[in-house]
Amino acid sequence: MKNFLWDQNKYGVEESTAVSKAFHHSIRAKVREKFEASGVDWKDFVFGNSNCLLTEADFAHVEAKLLATGYRFDVSAIISSTEAPEKYKALKGPDESRVDSAINDGRMRVGQGDNVVTYPQSVTGLALYVRTTEEVMTMMMEGVPPDIIAIIDDSGGTLTAPILEHFKAVVCMGGTVRSHLGILCREYSIPCLMNAKVGGVSNGDRLEVNYAASAKSAKDYQQGVEKFAEIWKLV
Amino acid sequence: MPKNAVKNPVTYAQLLEANNLMQLLSDETYWLCVTRTTQESKLFPVSPYMMLSYANSYYRYPSLLRKIEANMSMEECGDRARNMGGKTDTLTMGWAFPCFYLLGREWLINMGMLRPEDGVEDLVYVMDCWKRMQLSYHRNDGHLTNSQYGHRSQLMAERQLQVFEADLHDVVAGDALHIAASKFMATVSQYQFLSHCECRIGICNQGPYSFGEGRELIVRDFMDLAEGDYPWLDGVAHNISYNNLTVPMVVKDTHFELMDDWGSFESTPEFRAENIVRIGLYTSDLLTDSYVPVAMESPQALAAKFSELTRLITDANQVLWKKIAGWSRAEMLQAGALVYFNVLKDVAHIAGVYEQSDWMEIDERAQRLVPLLNDEYGRDVLTELVGLLTLPSQVCSEYTMSMHNNASKRLYSPIPYTILKTGDYTATCGPLGKGSSLFKKVAGWRTSRGLLGIEAFNKAVREFTPFACTPEARYIDDNWVKYHYKDPDVEALYERTQATSPRLANKGAGLKRADIAKLRST
Repeated sequence: MKNFLWDQNKYGVEESTAVSKAFHHSIRAKVREKFEASGVDWKDFVFGNSNCLLTEADFAHVEAKLLATGYRFDVSAIISSTEAPEKYKALKGPDESRVDSAINDGRMRVGQGDNVVTYPQSVTGLALYVRTTEEVMTMMMEGVPPDIIAIIDDSGGTLTAPILEHFKAVVCMGGTVRSHLGILCREYSIPCLMNAKVGGVSNGDRLEVNYAASAKSAKDYQQGVEKFAEIWKLV
Repeated sequence: MPKNAVKNPVTYAQLLEANNLMQLLSDETYWLCVTRTTQESKLFPVSPYMMLSYANSYYRYPSLLRKIEANMSMEECGDRARNMGGKTDTLTMGWAFPCFYLLGREWLINMGMLRPEDGVEDLVYVMDCWKRMQLSYHRNDGHLTNSQYGHRSQLMAERQLQVFEADLHDVVAGDALHIAASKFMATVSQYQFLSHCECRIGICNQGPYSFGEGRELIVRDFMDLAEGDYPWLDGVAHNISYNNLTVPMVVKDTHFELMDDWGSFESTPEFRAENIVRIGLYTSDLLTDSYVPVAMESPQALAAKFSELTRLITDANQVLWKKIAGWSRAEMLQAGALVYFNVLKDVAHIAGVYEQSDWMEIDERAQRLVPLLNDEYGRDVLTELVGLLTLPSQVCSEYTMSMHNNASKRLYSPIPYTILKTGDYTATCGPLGKGSSLFKKVAGWRTSRGLLGIEAFNKAVREFTPFACTPEARYIDDNWVKYHYKDPDVEALYERTQATSPRLANKGAGLKRADIAKLRST
């Protein structure tokens, strides 16, 4: 058997995520198999024979092998599950049923998030989930309704690109204040929470969001400082 | 040479330096990533395209750098970059270019496709190119990176900053120029994230620079706005007349305490548009001497220009979004990967050797990895690679305490020194492989001399030398000016920079802040 890099791994650590671990095990095994069958030294294999011996089909087989176990992948971009629904788990909808707290002074706490910029006061408005290109396209054509606090589960700056500036405020259920959506909201002076946890909110609910809370900084993230702004449903 | 060493073209000193540079980037990459989550998008498969770009960078950068340096050294490219607001900035050059190559290498190591001792001469060369480019680009502040400067970048020379100080227009929150400028910056930022497929490299900030009385200047660059290298902007951006726009802005009551190697800033208190007190608009490219004012003749003209650009960019944004929303996943994956991979392309433009096939194609050695790149693997392997540092290659001796988290981890595998003894290493990944692209370029390249074909663009660049990069001016730095401001060559350099300045034209090199204040008040 030829000497292979991963034959000796003193600390024995493996990948910490399931798919990376499964894929890398399969790929390393495939590389070893092709290397041993090549009959050449590693020096000739690594940038020579391996270029033609390790093929797209080999890598496709790695994914197919995992899918054959019944495993389905988390989806991130909508296009991925649209084109290959058989490979991905179904997208989860918003959790509209969860209730965090009792009603107090006509308000019910329904979530929290990291404030991007501190504004003088809280903002009230109507909740609207924005999750798909179709929803964005509709609002592009028909206009964004007034008084909307958009609840977006995408920390990127592209999904909502044509309509972002028309939101009264944003609650983003991902990212950090340094994510692209946070940066853009700061540029547009749109109050924004990032990394929000929201439950028990449906489209059309009237929300009050505390954008007057302290903004979270890079140092806060690095040092694990908890600093959040609350989201209330007005009932 | 050690007693048992083999004859080897790579020296101990080179390995020491390459490993040092890799460790510096390892520490900074972790810091940059720990304050952010993995950037995901509902529109683009971001993490998968990042991984594809890293592999493409690994296989292509060494050859492309050699092609660039056959025409112009990296340190000369750095000089050119320092005098304009193009996509050779702290984000693309300071971090992305070396790290995309290194991230590709680390990924391939973990898949068993490389050893740390493979492609060593490539690796040493890439790190050396990066170092020379960066030292030249950062010549004015004397650092290698923003992080080495405590997360700050002061790239500009006094002569350029004086022009900004003299000519930027005063604004007050709520006035017409303030409103128009703020709207423009938000709109163009939005457009840049979209045109760059959710990547931030179309926007970069530098500074801060002291403007006295508690005010600080930061300089914001928006690059690749018009028809140019990205085929998806053909037609979409036809009405945008500037490929690069630069917005210098002076901010009161705000200290920019952090300007990181991704060109992002943090301030105390957090930045608010209402604190902008002066603003301007400039353009520059490879065929301009330096920054050319855009509608700077009056606050009214500038406000009108900002509003006009906002309208044009809003229109382009809408058209582009619809176009991208109709793309297949393969197109989104490739477009994003190309935007990432070609962070280095403007250096090829500077050297006058840009070819679309070099920079807008995926190498077959990277392309074969595409079947792996579903959303979950892309996300998880990226998160392990740059955030968790949990890939097997990243674990090191149990005594190690890494810079930012005290863990026994490092992001990039160093080159083993034992190769000097055994000679057991490989030198290079080889020449460019066959490339492929799903995008066809049909329009020209928007430049300060109009729309040009690529051959004409390259030729014009090769025939043009900005005055600041001529033999008479190239080595004049601010410390030399301090003692030689009456020297004719120094005067000539200042006057050339001042040529388009209404207040400083022909004022020369002897001015100080008080002189400029007087000129502003008359």
